[in-house]
Amino acid sequence: MASADKLINTDVPEKDVFAFHFLQSLSNLRKQNPFDTPDQKNYRVRKIKKAAYVSMARAAGGSSRLWSRALLRRADKDDNKIVRFSRRKRKVTWKISSKRRRSNQRAPVVEEAAERLRNLVPGGGGMETSKLMEETAHYIKCLSMQVKVMQCLVDGLSPK
Amino acid sequence: MLEGLVSQESLSLNSMDMSVLERLKWVQQQQQQLQQVVSHSSNNSPELLQILQFHGSNNDELLESSFSQFQMLGSGFGPNYNMGFGPPHESISRTSSCHMEPVDTMEVLLKTGEETRAIALKNKRKPEVKTREEQKTEKKIKVEAETESSMKGKSNMGNTEASSDTSKETSKGASENQKLDYIHVRARRGQATDRHSLAERARREKISKKMKYLQDIVPGCNKVTGKAGMLDEIINYVQCLQRQVEFLSMKLAVLNPELELAVEDVSVKQFQAYFTNVVASKQSIMVDVPLFPLDQQGSLDLSAINPNQTTSIEAPSGSWETQSQSLYNTSSLGFHY
Repeated sequence: MASADKLINTDVPEKDVFAFHFLQSLSNLRKQNPFDTPDQKNYRVRKIKKAAYVSMARAAGGSSRLWSRALLRRADKDDNKIVRFSRRKRKVTWKISSKRRRSNQRAPVVEEAAERLRNLVPGGGGMETSKLMEETAHYIKCLSMQVKVMQCLVDGLSPK
Repeated sequence: MLEGLVSQESLSLNSMDMSVLERLKWVQQQQQQLQQVVSHSSNNSPELLQILQFHGSNNDELLESSFSQFQMLGSGFGPNYNMGFGPPHESISRTSSCHMEPVDTMEVLLKTGEETRAIALKNKRKPEVKTREEQKTEKKIKVEAETESSMKGKSNMGNTEASSDTSKETSKGASENQKLDYIHVRARRGQATDRHSLAERARREKISKKMKYLQDIVPGCNKVTGKAGMLDEIINYVQCLQRQVEFLSMKLAVLNPELELAVEDVSVKQFQAYFTNVVASKQSIMVDVPLFPLDQQGSLDLSAINPNQTTSIEAPSGSWETQSQSLYNTSSLGFHY
């Protein structure tokens, strides 16, 4: 399906890549923090979730996609680096103010949904609606791949 | 005499029963009559003769030239009128008589020209091919006819036809221009033709194309029609996937501390065996809501692992069998918050 569509390039690497990255991040986590204390379960869950997202972003092609870049930047910001990159509101309002003089105001139905999507998809604030759709498609593919990997891992490791 | 002619012909034109050819012939006849009349009445009106010369050449250019000539006439006949004051009466009477007639002839000419233009427009609307020159002349005629206050009824009709046709043609022209660049926008009839709305339309088509692509990816989007419903479904799907990731990470957080996952020792083949769904990954990448078939495949793959290679992976499984009960306890503890 991705190869059939020549307009938008939403190729996603194989499952192995995702699996490799995820396992690597998990092992890194283990080395950093010994998971002995049971009362830090929330902390552990959050760490694993973050590792999942970061590994997904790396597996999906590091900086070739807007959402992956934004994800990685956000992860770095949370840890140590302070990255100020608030492009979001500036770009969106510029578009709206310049075009609002015209009679039709950019299909408000589509724009509302686009706003919600921007909140969900990482890095969605600095994108125009058509670009947002492409990023959403790729993001959905990568997310589903990541979910498959994690599910397999969980099932493989869970007691029978 | 001329006014009587005019009234008769205007009545006959109003009926609109005659065909185009008949009307054109009648117009030509009228022109010839007018020519004879005018040539008889006035000899010293070069502008009028010029007009009559223009007359026979082309109907399209008629009104352009006639209007310019009309203005000249108005200015020309003023001084003539004044000059004819002193000299003999014959000339005065001639010029004065001429003053009225050319105006009438001009009105008549304009009227006939307008009518032919209106008739031509009506007939030309069906074949939708027009040249740029005709577009320009139509626009000019529209402008000139609007300024003429004496011909409101017929000119209004002609105007609306002309404007609608010009808008249609300009839209087609604009769409042709667009085709030459690279945005292929089909401008439909009766829609706005300025650059902004065309760009808007192109943008909307792009977005709808991408939404169709998204519709193929997201399962269950085919049932809902319309942009709003589809977008809601897509947003819902993304939220579902994110929740799934969170849930699975919770599960892993529980399972992980009991296991040793040495990634450096594990080779690529083990990965393929461990996570084998190579076929599935190449097919549709949609996540079905019931994940149970995948679960079974995952567990089956573990059993199919070659015992020589999987030393690190089987070690944890060995520890499971011994510590299965403790695992169950911790897992139950893990999911209690």
